[in-house]
Parts: sequence; structure tokens; C-alpha cells
Amino acid sequence: MHADSPDAPDDTLRRVIAELRRPVHLDARIDDRVLRAIAREQALPPRRVRPARWAGGALGGALAAGLLLTLLGRDAAPTRPIELRLIAPASHVMVVGDFNDWDPAATPLRRGNEGGTWTVELRLPPGRYRYTFLVDGRRWVPDPEEPRAADDDFGAPMSVLTVS
Amino acid sequence: MPRCAVPLAVVAVLATATLHAQERRLVDRLDPVTATAVQQLIDSARTAELPTEPLVQKALEGATLGAGGDRIRTAVGVLLGQLGRARDVLGPTATEAELTAGAGALRAGLTSETLQRLQVMRPGQPLVVPLSVLTDLVAEGMTADLAARSVFDLARNGRPDADFLALRRRVQTELRSTAPREDGPPGRSPGRPAANPPATRP
Amino acid sequence: MPLRVLSQSAVTGGLSPVSEADAVLVGRTLAGDLAAFASLMSRYRESLGRYAYHMLGSREDAEEAVQDSFVRAYRSLGDCRQPERFAAWLFTILVNRCRTSQRRLFRRRRFSEDLRDDVAAGGDAAASLEWREEIARALAALRPHYREAFLLRYVEGLDYAEMARLTGAREPTLRMRVKRAGDQLRELLRDIHAR
Repeated sequence: MHADSPDAPDDTLRRVIAELRRPVHLDARIDDRVLRAIAREQALPPRRVRPARWAGGALGGALAAGLLLTLLGRDAAPTRPIELRLIAPASHVMVVGDFNDWDPAATPLRRGNEGGTWTVELRLPPGRYRYTFLVDGRRWVPDPEEPRAADDDFGAPMSVLTVS
Repeated sequence: MPRCAVPLAVVAVLATATLHAQERRLVDRLDPVTATAVQQLIDSARTAELPTEPLVQKALEGATLGAGGDRIRTAVGVLLGQLGRARDVLGPTATEAELTAGAGALRAGLTSETLQRLQVMRPGQPLVVPLSVLTDLVAEGMTADLAARSVFDLARNGRPDADFLALRRRVQTELRSTAPREDGPPGRSPGRPAANPPATRP
Repeated sequence: MPLRVLSQSAVTGGLSPVSEADAVLVGRTLAGDLAAFASLMSRYRESLGRYAYHMLGSREDAEEAVQDSFVRAYRSLGDCRQPERFAAWLFTILVNRCRTSQRRLFRRRRFSEDLRDDVAAGGDAAASLEWREEIARALAALRPHYREAFLLRYVEGLDYAEMARLTGAREPTLRMRVKRAGDQLRELLRDIHAR
């Protein structure tokens, strides 16, 4: 905008404009609230009408198909029965690990007839899984029957299970 | 809707839904800032054609253990780097399970050369169990050299996975019976009070 | 950083079309990458916030308008036919959202509370605050269409062609609004300026 253009502001307006151009800091939590709103709606934006602008319609569809098949294939791998066991005085015992999204409510162990013995049977595809037991909702207890995990990222004792 | 996308529309939607389910776990369990940061790492992994599920699980592990966002982001970032290194060593045909096991082995201090030698000794065979046993032996206190030699012996002779697991059990029993345990006698698990009490789900 | 394009364009004119990074982020968002959308929000939150704040008169209303605009943008991202001009498209959503707010009761500005947060450290803080309060009062006194045109032209630096696309008004009408807004502001602030 040049000084000699028809609507070039005069000095007063220049001062006003300079003031109005100062940054206005809004709460950065706006972003959080937007993401939460999006997640709650569980909706993705509709696909572009012209996929050729991106990956090409057929190619994009093929990629999506391949990805889906890969995802399905991973979940369809043969599984092995695995029993986890813990001997501990407790009211309730859960297991959390790579096989149940570390959900402390997902996989309870069952108390056996022998006092203090807790077991659960899982079916897992071949792989390596980190896990630990949660005893009475407040103690992290590693599995004495399996190796301890060498890497401890979060300060709780971990075991590692290898399924062949 | 373009003609070519019509037959694949269902597949595209399902694939998108699966991807979306993955993001939902992060959104549900992590604060938005951490979820976004982790999602960016996952996106980087996807771009690099590295497995993303181990990264999601690492983030969820941190969430359950009550770790702070910074710690979670760091752990996921470190794992991403380890997966990349594992892929550099094991090659593009390594499975997700092999890359995860390889990343663990590298982190435990085993060298790239050790992993490559193991791969050469077991051509065309899954490496998850040998890599895992290598890592576990070192975690139990065996030196990396001795662990490698023990595993190489089995690999060189074409032994099955069960033999590797048996080796690990023997070593574990032997080492635990001779070394003082900080957490009590074998078979008993007094456990550790949760320094980080389990994070409740929102 | 494309965020600054909107203010720098006050000199060069217009919302810059050079936003390749925006196009990439839009594409990733459409593919399901929420982090990409978070990057877009981080990039444009402040520039959107500035317009909404001056248009609506309160930080709270501005935050609500910006938040609603982002959600709307996400929902309708598939309709963004020129992702390289995402910024302009997003701004259109915000302008319309602010117009909707205007049609409701225009809330009394809590400008004293809001402005005190923003007074620059150092310098003559009291005088700065008074000047900013007077500007805010003068701006609030303008008709909404005049205020909108003034902000888009002089604060956001759009040219009249872009303003016409964004508002739906004809260019001559927009020129008239900008001129009248300037005249009225000058009149309202004359006494202040003369002090």
C-alpha cells in the first residue's frame, strides 16, 4: 500500500493501524478444545472431490486397500495360548501390556484354588510384549517367571514375553 | 465422487476408520498436547515405513504409568529412532515383530554387527526369538559377548526357537539362583509400590 | 512462517498464495492426520484471533469465534478447493463467523481487562493503555460492515479483490466502507490525538 495510493491512511490512521496490528494472544488451549471437539464427533473431513490432485484416484484407493489388508493381516496372524501367572497376596490383580493397550481395566487375572495364585490365559501372535501386573490397583509387580525388560522408560518394573 | 474411487470407497473408508481408531487411543488416553506430539512421531514413522503400533503402545504404557507428557514424548521418540536403526541393520524385509525385537536388542547394548551376523546365520528364518533371547540374556546380567556367542552357537547349528527359549530359561535360573535379588527370593513377588499410580482413564 | 504473511501483506497487499506448506498440511489432515491440523491451527490462531478480537470486542468472544472457525474448517476441509490458499479460505470462515456474532447482541467490551494484559512492558504504559482504550472505543462505535472493511483492508492487508471474494460485497462498496470507517475513526480520535 503506497503513500500516494487513493486510500493511503494519514498519520492518525497509521497510528491506529499500527496499534491494531499488535499481536493479540489468545489462549493456546483453543487448539486443545478444537481437537477434543473433533475427536468427540468421530468424523474425518470428507475426501477431496478431486483425488488426482493428491495421489490419484486409483492409486489412492489402492494404497488404502493395501493398508487395510496389511492391518487386517497383522491382526489375523496365528496366535498362541499363553498363560500368565502370579503368586501374590492380593484382592485383585490385573495385567497391562502391549497386548491390551496398557488398559488397567481390560485383563483381570483369576484367583486360583491355591491361595494367592492368579492366572490369565491370553492368545497372542508371535512377537515380543512388555507387560506388568497391577496388584490391588496400587503396586506394579513384574512377572517372576519371565525376563525383566532391560529398558525402563517410566519407572515401573516390566517383564517381557516372547511368543514364538 | 470420482469413478475410479467408487469400487474402493468402502476399503478407503475402512482403512481411514482403522487409522482413525489408532489416533482415538491417543486422544482418549493422552492430554491433547502430548497426543499431538506423539501423533507427529507416528506420522514420521509411517512416512519412513516403520511400524507405528509399537509407538502407540509405548505412549499408552506411559499414560497408564502416569508419566508426564515430556517423558512419554521422549520415550516414543527414542523408540522411533531405535526402530529406524533396527531397520537399517535388518533390512526392509524385517517384520514389525523383528524390528521391535531388534530395537530392544540395540537398546540393550548389542551391536549392529551382532544382529547382522545372527541374520546371516538364520537366512530366511524369523529372528524374533533369537533377538529377544539375546536381549534377555544381557538384561539378566550376561555380558553382550557371551550372550552373542551362546546364541550364535544355536543359530549356527540351525536350532529351533524352542532351544533359544530353553537357553534363556537355563541362564535365567542359574543367574537368579546365584545372585542376590533386590526383590526377594525367586517365585515371590513383593513388587514395588507404584511410584506412579495407575492413571485413571478419562 | 506463513503466520506472518497476513500482517506483512499489509505492505505488499493480500493474503499470500505462497503456502505450499499449508497445502501439504491440508492433504495430511484429509488423510486423517490430526497433528497436521494442529499445526495449521498453531500457525493461524494468532492472526485469526487478532481480527476476531478487534471485530468482536472481547477476548472471550474472539476465542470462541476462532475455536468455532477451526472446527468448521476441519469439518469442511474437503471443500477447500485450493489448499495452497488455505489461509484465505480459513479467513472467510472466520469473517462469516464474526458476522454471525455481530447479529447477536454486541456485548459490552471488557476492553480494560483485556487490554491491560497486553500493555507492552516498559515505556509509558498508562498512556499506551489510554490510547488503546480510545482506539477500542472508536472501533466499537463503527458500524460492523465499516469495522470489518477497515480491519480487512488496513490491518489484515487484503486488496479489494480479495475482500470482495471474502465478503461477497462489490469493490466499490468496500472502498466506500473503508473510507467512511477511516473518516469516522479520524473524527472520533481527533480530540485524543490532539492531546
